[in-house]
Amino acid sequence: MKLIKEPGSARSGFRDWYLQRLSAVVLAVLLPLSFVVLILVYTGHLDQFGLLDIVDNFVSRLLHTILIIALIVHAYMGLKVMIEDYVPVIGWRVSLIGGMLVLMSGFGIWWLAIIWAWGG
Amino acid sequence: MNDPGRLTRRSLSPRLSVYRWQPAMIASLAHRVSGLILVLFVPLYLWILHGMTGSTDDFERMQQWLHSGLGRLSLWFVGVALFYHFCNGLRFLSIDAGWCESRMMMRLSARVVIAMAGVAALLLAVLLLG
Repeated sequence: MKLIKEPGSARSGFRDWYLQRLSAVVLAVLLPLSFVVLILVYTGHLDQFGLLDIVDNFVSRLLHTILIIALIVHAYMGLKVMIEDYVPVIGWRVSLIGGMLVLMSGFGIWWLAIIWAWGG
Repeated sequence: MNDPGRLTRRSLSPRLSVYRWQPAMIASLAHRVSGLILVLFVPLYLWILHGMTGSTDDFERMQQWLHSGLGRLSLWFVGVALFYHFCNGLRFLSIDAGWCESRMMMRLSARVVIAMAGVAALLLAVLLLG
């Protein structure tokens, strides 16, 4: 059994699994709302000022923040599992997961900065 | 780490070359593929957000690009991937919760989810081309 205890083993498996599901439930509620907003902007039913009215308040910002955090957790857990499954070389695996973590954090910080600065 | 070569140099799941293709396996793989597509389009989401939050010119530029051929194609890809990932995600959650866990139900629900995604892909194409 000693063989199994290497990076990517099942030590933190349940926590990862649980976070994946928890974030999925949050996303299942919040993500369709954002997609509907995007479609409304696309079809022209919502112009930039209408968009501002929806997003420029505390509750929207809070929901948006929760959405981004859940999105990053969910995408991180999902891609991590894929990398662990299909990238057999440990060095590559660790670099890819690390690089992904850095990119996703950067993306999240950028996104949240835009959200909280918007409208002022 | 006694024998890392033998232990680690293989993919773990789903092992594409080993199993016979089944609806449930296709649904699981498509969940991964659609998730990957959704992640790869992240720069686009940031650009759209930039267009929405920027000046009126930024907003106009974003709108024009969204209505171009490439923009519509991107929206179609993201929309279909999101719809499939959403439906199959609910399917996974229900299986985890213990509903529809039997082999037959899992195969049936996989077929239903894939068919729904096919219909959604057609509808979204009609919507975006119209």
